[in-house]
Amino acid sequence: MELSNLDGQLIGIVSDDFKKEEYSNKLVKDIILVKQNEAIKMVKLDKDVLSKNFDDLSSRDQNKVILASKLHDKEIILINFSKGMITKDLEYFKSLFKKISTYNRKIVLIDKNANLFLNCVDNIYVISNNNLIFHTTDIFDRVLDIYIDPPKIVEFFHKCENLGIRLDHYKELDELLKAIYRIKS
Amino acid sequence: MKIDDDLNYTILSNNINRKFLMQFSEYPIIDELKFSELKNKIEFHTSKRIVFNNSLYLLRDYEKEEIFDLLKKQNIKYINITNDIEETIYCDYILVYDNNNLVIEGKKETILKEEKLLKKLGYGLPFVVDLSTQLNYYGVFTKIYYEMDDLVGDLWN
Repeated sequence: MELSNLDGQLIGIVSDDFKKEEYSNKLVKDIILVKQNEAIKMVKLDKDVLSKNFDDLSSRDQNKVILASKLHDKEIILINFSKGMITKDLEYFKSLFKKISTYNRKIVLIDKNANLFLNCVDNIYVISNNNLIFHTTDIFDRVLDIYIDPPKIVEFFHKCENLGIRLDHYKELDELLKAIYRIKS
Repeated sequence: MKIDDDLNYTILSNNINRKFLMQFSEYPIIDELKFSELKNKIEFHTSKRIVFNNSLYLLRDYEKEEIFDLLKKQNIKYINITNDIEETIYCDYILVYDNNNLVIEGKKETILKEEKLLKKLGYGLPFVVDLSTQLNYYGVFTKIYYEMDDLVGDLWN
């Protein structure tokens, strides 16, 4: 499956077909080769990470290093980038991805965590054994739930709909709260 | 870290590296595995406690629940080291770290009330806890929920 042929500028992919790159036993300075200082700053790492062995880093920092090494690529492919990331990180990187994609660069997120796709990707594809199984532009699409756990806010809407309660598909908790309050008051 | 034999722990950490994991070296540590492999490991696990190092990352929610049910059935207690705040809802006791420094610890119900601190540290709250906490502020609820089905049921019934 040629990922660069898929429609979309910021793409989410659900798949077990892809394996993460191997950086074991490498120093970070030998992984990030282009504009090192600028790149590590952009992914919120300290300079001292450059002298560290990739294996000694947490999954969170490893993923930041991988992103930093690809920041100047025309097409950025990240596999399970969400591993090790906390909620605040995901929000930061989602906004960074959006910003990067406006410079006519394609970002492909192959991930197990649909929270990374929420408020971020424009297309979601499910790929299995090199075949395109499913495609949607809507994270609220219930068919997607077959392949990946939806973000919790989406799961909430689906459970409400199962009880016959239809709400607009808000992607932010604040908006959802206001909608619930309007109905309940 | 003092371990109570009767409790299941979640350790929330934003920097789970080799050094951090060293403190749990007295227990068998399981890394990220696929569901069938993890299930298999647990079925043949002989000690009374197991440590998960972000082991549940690849799993769907229903698979996580099956793993926790299996642990209960096998009478194995766990320490789940994770960055994922959603995984805290399954445990009894939570320890919260920030860059390898222990910030706060306590029973799940106590720690998940620390909304400001958990959000400041960047972990946030589990969605169902966050939603019910906010709905408490709005006067819609008077308790915190840990199960989405319970929350949705009570909200609309």
